[in-house]
Amino acid sequence: MEKDARPNWENPMQFVLACVSYAVGLGNVWRFPYLCQMHGGGGFLIPYLIMLVLEGVPLFYMELAIGQKMRLGSIGAWSAISPYLGGIGLASVLTSLYLCLYYNILNAWSFWYLFNSFQSVLPWAECPLNANMTGPDEECERATPTQYFFYRQTLNISSSIDETGGMHLGQVLCLLLAWVFTFLFTLRGVKSTGKVVYFTATFPYVVLFIYLIRGLTLHGSANGIKFMFTPKMEQLADPRTWVNAATQIFYSLGLGFGSLIAFASYNEYNNNFERQAIVVSMINSGTSIFACIVTFAIYGFKATVNYESCLERTRMLLLNTFDMAEELITQDNVGGWLETLNSTHPEQFAGLSGVLEECDLEAELGNAVEGAGLAFIVYSEGIKNMPLPQLWSVLYFFMLLTIGMGSMLGNVTAIITPLRDFKVVSRNISIEALSALVCVFCLLMGLSFTTRQGNYWFTMFNDYAAGFSLFFIVLVEVVVVSYVYGITRFEKDVEDMLGRKPSWLWKVLLVAVSPALLLCLFIFYIVGYIQGGTPTYKAWDKDLGRSVVMEYPVYGQVFIGLLLVSTISCIPLSALYTYCRRKARPATPEPSQIALREPDAWVVPPSEHCSQE
Amino acid sequence: MLGALLVLLGTTACLAQDLCTDETSEGFKVRLSIKTALGQQAYVWNESEMFLFRATLAFAMRQHFKNNEYNVSSILVCNETQRVSFHFVVLDPSDSTQLIQKTAVEAAVRKSRHRINSAFLLSDGTLEFLQIPPTLATPYSPATPPWLIAFGVVIGAVCAGIIVMLVSSLLGPKKGKGEDDDEEEGGGVGRNGIACDALDGACNGGFSDDDRLTQM
Repeated sequence: MEKDARPNWENPMQFVLACVSYAVGLGNVWRFPYLCQMHGGGGFLIPYLIMLVLEGVPLFYMELAIGQKMRLGSIGAWSAISPYLGGIGLASVLTSLYLCLYYNILNAWSFWYLFNSFQSVLPWAECPLNANMTGPDEECERATPTQYFFYRQTLNISSSIDETGGMHLGQVLCLLLAWVFTFLFTLRGVKSTGKVVYFTATFPYVVLFIYLIRGLTLHGSANGIKFMFTPKMEQLADPRTWVNAATQIFYSLGLGFGSLIAFASYNEYNNNFERQAIVVSMINSGTSIFACIVTFAIYGFKATVNYESCLERTRMLLLNTFDMAEELITQDNVGGWLETLNSTHPEQFAGLSGVLEECDLEAELGNAVEGAGLAFIVYSEGIKNMPLPQLWSVLYFFMLLTIGMGSMLGNVTAIITPLRDFKVVSRNISIEALSALVCVFCLLMGLSFTTRQGNYWFTMFNDYAAGFSLFFIVLVEVVVVSYVYGITRFEKDVEDMLGRKPSWLWKVLLVAVSPALLLCLFIFYIVGYIQGGTPTYKAWDKDLGRSVVMEYPVYGQVFIGLLLVSTISCIPLSALYTYCRRKARPATPEPSQIALREPDAWVVPPSEHCSQE
Repeated sequence: MLGALLVLLGTTACLAQDLCTDETSEGFKVRLSIKTALGQQAYVWNESEMFLFRATLAFAMRQHFKNNEYNVSSILVCNETQRVSFHFVVLDPSDSTQLIQKTAVEAAVRKSRHRINSAFLLSDGTLEFLQIPPTLATPYSPATPPWLIAFGVVIGAVCAGIIVMLVSSLLGPKKGKGEDDDEEEGGGVGRNGIACDALDGACNGGFSDDDRLTQM
């Protein structure tokens, strides 16, 4: 006796927007531009688009199909496919849990920067004064004001993972706020999520468009755009380019976390997910490219500003050392004068060698930064030089917030949906209480990332928790669907849902191409890890004013190992557990090994579906 | 007589000028960056501007020492360059062979720095007294950090929203309970797959929205 039917999206548009909101994440804004820059600008689009077709879209299609067919979260769906494989779902839930723990810290940072934008002078625009008011703070002098604001005033970072410290009040409050919002958005499951995604999916595009116009009209943005679009085709010969393209597509679409399965499980049975899969993948990649253009316009502006201030400093240095009239040297003929003065006054010029800087626009542009560094340091540096910086800052960080929150919705749904599929949970705990439990748990665990050394743990989670294990999960998924469940059964299910069989192209991609690609990537990463030696991280050295590479201590490495092993081992351990239970109780019939609501896989759907809207 | 006086004055002037050299320990080097600061509205540096500088500096000395004997003639300038940079020393008004101590001059300049800058439409960075560090203005730091205010606003709004939601959900069931009952009885649609009977109105048992229980 069912108390209530499975909730559905109010209309297919909500589902598409939810997928877009989930897939378009912070990685589109900060990882893709970095990869573009590293791997030869416009040329990177070639491997990227090829991988999208060969790997991204088929796997996305597969996950949506499974979710829509089984109408259960990841644990239930995979258990329905085979009772031994519920571990895949469990691994997905665990990975989503790790992701939830640290991802909201990014939203907390966005809140922090957003709130700090409401000042007449942006706090990252200038260095604060030191203790006795004689000059700027030393750490800030050695680094830049934006770096100082991020590492000292936002994180109050310690000098290594071993050095512990207290929590940062601002971070704690912002993290609390981030979780409050996440809770409110996922409170009633798809009923609340479905409404929120109208905003979180569309607002970022509004801001990106505004930034595109602003960016393109900035002085020097053309340098950045030119830099991006000049393809360096020789990069295509480097295998790392292809690996990075495949990895980026993979993570960007959010495969393997169970979020897509969860979202699709709330669909109508006959929803046309095939077209939606293609549309969402295209929108996601299109957004990456769009964000790349905006980022490079800002990059170009920032690099030009830095280059010109370098030229200005060199000019003043020459004027002051050689006591020449101001109008003789301009920014354009600094280079010429450097040579002239070197030949006419060699001893004096030699005395300058310690202070004279190399001003190189290409080097400024080539200064690739990824991750939190790009979003928070580089972008805020670009913003502070714009006219009316407070407005641009508010817009930008609000956009980061909507993007991040949109992705969090998917992450939390990926945890809540499979949990609610268990009868024991759905009968005794209401969905509001379950959401609250998950959010409070993640908040309390996440507080450890707000400590002084918390950022190093954050980096560890970011690099290892939801990385390599996803390849394994999705590889197992695609192999199971293609071979264990059987591509013919899968084909029949799709035909049942959509009314037509999937074309041979989908089948070839799912059976042969995607698994082969994933296997190659998986092996590549294993070899990389083995050859890479001790894992390292970048620690902020406040005396040098920059990051230094340090090795993880033993307990750090053990933790990394735990993170990787805990998710991967879910699959074999769960299979073993099911096998032992079956042996212990041979009389019980197959489907009810795990006490779930009856999955549709074992029930031929009635023809009533045709009469429904 | 007049000739002797002139010779005497000339000698004094020469002697005094000897006091202003590059290596003097009591003097400062001044550097102006007029074109950098003012761009199109830059004025040309000439004798009159130099006179203004010396007068301003004399003013600064008067302000600091409260001694009205300082004059333009007390300020000696030398080593002018194209850059617009020069050295200056301050003569003691009571004894024209003595120079005022460096520290005293520095104190006087620091006290009236803003007035000196304003006279030339320049700032601490563009009218540099080398070896006199600019006094940095105390930055304005409000009592409550601004981010806390913004945070307070947002979390206040969120809490208000939550309270409104809770209140409406508490009030809701009281009003909606009647409707709910009607729905349960009148529909029976999909609540349990059993066809509704002995109820008011016609019910369409074929319109089940829970397909899971409809078996073939």
